[in-house]
Parts: sequence; C-alpha cells; structure tokens
Amino acid sequence: MDVILNNLIVGFQTALTPGHLFWITIGGILGTIIGMLPGLGPATGVAVLLPMTFSMGPVTSLITMCGIYYGAMFGGSRSSILINTPGDGAALAATFDGYPMSQQGRAEAALAMSAIASFIGGIIATVFMTLVANPVANFALRFGPAEYFLLMVTALSATASMSKKNLVRGFISMILGLMISTVGLDSQSGINRFTFGVLELQTGIDFLVVIIAIYALGEVFKCFKEIHEGKKKAQTKFGKIWITKEDWKKSWLPILRSTPLGFFVGALPGAGGTMASLMAYNNEKQLAKNPDDFGKGEIVGLAAPEAANNAASVGALIPMLTLGIPGSGTTAVMMGALLMLGLQPGPLLFTQHPDIAWGLIASMFLGNMLLAIINIPLAGLLVRVLSIPPKILYPIVLGLAFIGTFAISNSVIDFYLLVIFGLMGYFMKNAGIPTAPLILGVIVGNKMEISFRQALIISDGSYRIFVASPVAIVLIILTVISVAYPFLKDYFKNTKEITA
Amino acid sequence: MNIRVISGLLAIIIGCIYSILAYNLPRATVGNPIAPILFPLGLGVTMLIFGIILFIKESKKERGLAEEKRKNQRKVILSSGKLVIITCLSSIIYALLFERIGYVLSTLLFMGLILFAINGKENWKINVLVAVCFSVGIYFIFLKLLGIPLPSLPVFDI
Repeated sequence: MDVILNNLIVGFQTALTPGHLFWITIGGILGTIIGMLPGLGPATGVAVLLPMTFSMGPVTSLITMCGIYYGAMFGGSRSSILINTPGDGAALAATFDGYPMSQQGRAEAALAMSAIASFIGGIIATVFMTLVANPVANFALRFGPAEYFLLMVTALSATASMSKKNLVRGFISMILGLMISTVGLDSQSGINRFTFGVLELQTGIDFLVVIIAIYALGEVFKCFKEIHEGKKKAQTKFGKIWITKEDWKKSWLPILRSTPLGFFVGALPGAGGTMASLMAYNNEKQLAKNPDDFGKGEIVGLAAPEAANNAASVGALIPMLTLGIPGSGTTAVMMGALLMLGLQPGPLLFTQHPDIAWGLIASMFLGNMLLAIINIPLAGLLVRVLSIPPKILYPIVLGLAFIGTFAISNSVIDFYLLVIFGLMGYFMKNAGIPTAPLILGVIVGNKMEISFRQALIISDGSYRIFVASPVAIVLIILTVISVAYPFLKDYFKNTKEITA
Repeated sequence: MNIRVISGLLAIIIGCIYSILAYNLPRATVGNPIAPILFPLGLGVTMLIFGIILFIKESKKERGLAEEKRKNQRKVILSSGKLVIITCLSSIIYALLFERIGYVLSTLLFMGLILFAINGKENWKINVLVAVCFSVGIYFIFLKLLGIPLPSLPVFDI
C-alpha cells in the first residue's frame, strides 16, 4: 500500500503543474467537441488531435491525450442526451433514458447526472487501477516470448470475435491489420518485405497514419450518409444544471454497483465501453422496482451506464499499459500515442519510467475531476457546438487529419496513404467489417511477429514451445473460449428452450 | 453481387496475392532462412481461408435477400459516394500542391473544395470564412504555439 501511495505521489508531482492543468482543460474541451459530433467518438478525437501533442514532450502529451480521451467520452453522451444521437457506441445507452429526460424538460438533470456518474465511475475505477496495475505488470514480467505471442493472439481473437455475426469479418479485419504491419524492412534479417521498390515504405507504414485514416477519414466518410438528413435541433438554453436530492438518492447505489462491473468488463480484451454500459443498463432494469420506467426518462437508466462506461474506459487502459496489448480500438489509439512518444507500454514501462506510468494514472484522476467541472457549469456553453452544422465541422476534422499527419511524418507521401486507408475504412464499414481489430493488428503486429520468432529461436524451431508452459496452455484455452463463446451461448440457449 | 460478397472475394484475392508474395520473398542470409517468411505466410493462408468462408456464407445469404433491400443498400452507398470521391480527389490535389505552393494556400484550396462540396454553394460566405480561419489559424497554432514547421510559399514566405 505504501508503495502505491509513494508511486501516486510521484505521479501527482509530475502531473500537477499549471501547464499540465491548462493542457488537460484544452484537451478536454477539444475532445468534448469532437465527441459530440455524431458518429465520432474518443478514438477519432484522440487520432485527430494526437499530432498536436507531438512536440509537447511525453508527460505533457500524455496528459493532454487523457483530457481528449475523457472529453470525447463526456461529449458522446452530451449528444446522446440532447439530440438522441450517440457520439459513439459507448454513449448509446445514454440515449435510452437521457433523451426522454431532455424531452420532458429535464435536460439539466440529465446532463448533470451523466457528468456526476461518469466522474464517480471514472474516479473509483482509477483507484482500482492504481491497486492492480503493479501486480499485473509484475506478473507479466515473467512471460517469455511464447507466452507473449499467445497473449497477443488471445487479445486479438477476443476483439475479432466480439459478435458471432461478425466473427469471420472480425478475423479478416485483424489479419489485414497484421499484414499492414509486415510492410517494410524486416529488422531481424534485413530483407525488404512488400515494399514494391518504394523507398518510403522501407520504414514500414506508420500506424498513426492508418489510425488517422480509419478513424478520421473513414468515420467522416461514413457520416456523409446522414449529412443531408438535416440538423436535429438541440436545446441550448438551460436552467441550473444540477440534480435534485431525490435523483441522487435513487442513483448512488446503481452508480456504485455499475462501476466495478464496468471496470471489469472494460479490462477484458474486446469487450469495452459499449458492452459495459449496456450490461449495466440491463442489470439495473432487472433490479429496479418499476422496470417499466426504464426507457421513459428514468434517471437510474442514465446514471448506471454512464458510470459503467467511464469505469470501462479506465479498465481498458490496464491491459494496454501493463501488458502493452490494447483491447479496443480506442486504447489502441492511445497506445499509438505512447509509441509515438517513444514509450513502449508494457510491464517495463512501470519499472523503467515510473514517473510516466504513474503520471498518466494521476492525470486520469485530474482529467476526471476537471472534466466534471468543465461539463457541469460550462455544459450550456459547450453544447452550442451542437448548433454548428456538422457540414462545417466534418471538413474541419478532415483538415486536421491531414495537417496532423504531416506534423508527425513531415512527408506528403502519407497524404496518399491517408486517402487509400481512408477509403479502405469506408469500404469496410459498408461491408460490415469492424475496423477495431485492424487497428489492433497494425499496432501489435510487429511485436507479435518478433515474439513469435524469438520463441522459435529459443526452442530451436520446435512449435512445442507454444504449449510448453501452464500460462501458455491457459492462454490457448482462453483463445478457444473467446472464439467459441458466441456459439456456445447460442447452443445453451437453444437447449434451454427445448427443455423448458 | 452485393458489397458483402465482394468483400469475401477481395479477402480471397488479398490472401492469394499476399501468400504468393510472401512465399517469393528472398530467404534470410543469417539464421533460419525462412524465418522472415513464416509469419506473413501464415497470415496469407489464414486470410485465404477466412475469405473463402465469408464468400460462401454471403453468397448463400444473398440468394435469400430481396431485390428491394439490395437496391436500398446500393442507393445509400451511391448517395454518399459522390462526396467521398470529391473528398479523395481534393486530397490528392492537396498532396500534389502542398509542398509546391506552401501550406496556407494549398490548405485554403483544399478546405474550400470540400466545404463547397459538403456544405453547398449557397453557404459560400461561411465556407470562405471557415477555410481562411482554419488555414491561417492552424498555421499559427502549429508554428507559434506548438513549434511544428509547415511548408511555406517559396516567394512570400507564408
């Protein structure tokens, strides 16, 4: 416990400077604005704004990124509540009761409750995180290359097999990502792979370009579909944004119940915020005295998923930070940010750069607090962004994507790659292929191949090393379960129906 | 054929081409000669397998799909397709001009093009205003606040 406290103090010393507070606030506001845009969520927010933090130095950059990440999450539920359009999947559950509330003239309470629940969920989850981060990192230090390879296989297959309907498509997306990561000079043998004689491809395709292309260009292209549908009118004048005592009495227990649930679901690879918030919603609906009120503006139906969603966003950072393996598109983007700064997330991050690892955790506390502060009194001001037509904001997002890419690579060649991958993302979305597994593949691809080859060197070419340790076997079993789970669930459901 | 069947077909093609390319990669001169090939080859073959599964699954499904629904799908893709193409073409023009005429002018042109395409001609005042504010604003933010240099127009140095 003392170690954790000491670490946290170091973290706060790193994070708590006026400059950092300023950048968290700026990041939070910009993130909120992008998050509020229909269809664009935290992944897009971080991807588009990431290059701006490029020259800030690692700690400041990470802290700003945290602000953007949380800001986008808060922003997503703003638009859910006010215009019934979730900013991203995780904010979907906020439309169920949040929008009815604002239709009944209780937008103030809905906005306040969403911020309060998010804040509590986020803070408690961050406390959980401080407790588990070190043990998980220490455990992972014992992993050899074979276990590491299998761990990545597990995480990737879990993400790819998120839904049974998309199982095959998820795997295709994942392999495509891994393929992209193999382009370039092979660091171990020095041979050129898939570069087709293009000099610029020798250093490989920058994962940041892929991330920006898919999440900025691809998502905006997708939004073009709805662009002519006309703008939904959002309420921009508010009374005092706060909740009543009665609201609080009803909601505090659901918030506390949903937080650990969200945290746990978030930490699992592949699950993430959308699933966590939907689970929390259903959970509370089942526990409620009047389940029929849900969906008609019941404040508990807003509070629970919002708390779970933010807790999940913290939980999702655990595998990324401590193992170096992201479990969702958004955390993959965050990992891309760390890699851009020359930091390799994973168990060694905690031993080699404790100031950065703990500074990041401390900034999560700060980010949550500041965003709650920004989002309650300033909510009325921020949601005015919703009255700017997306027809103007989407071009700005596109412009930022190009400029940001140039800031990272200083090369115009990447503009062409941006267009190519943007179109690929657009095609994938139209064909129902999820993009998150691709991003994960691009991010972990290199490391995955290196672990694979290291393991084979250790074993002198024998594949038996991948089943040689208990950890390896457990990971293989987990992979099989994660792929088979959707089918098993169906099977059990059917047998139950037959016996019943 | 609908887009989902096509995506299965594409996966098969990508899997094939990638596997062939991977197999024909030069062998490593140090260590195990096939070490740099194993991983990509595995990827290529797996892609091929999943491509075949997807293609068969979607072809079966397509037969059951009503003509009405297929038409609808096409309509949605076509309506946004025009904007996507305009954006991509503008981006290529942008890439071609970026270093030649400098950041501010090329961005002005790029933003102008996509704003006129997306926001419409009737809002030209807003479009011009946004394009100018964006180009100049970002230039100063990047150069002054963040210290990231952007290419400038050779003669006027802006």
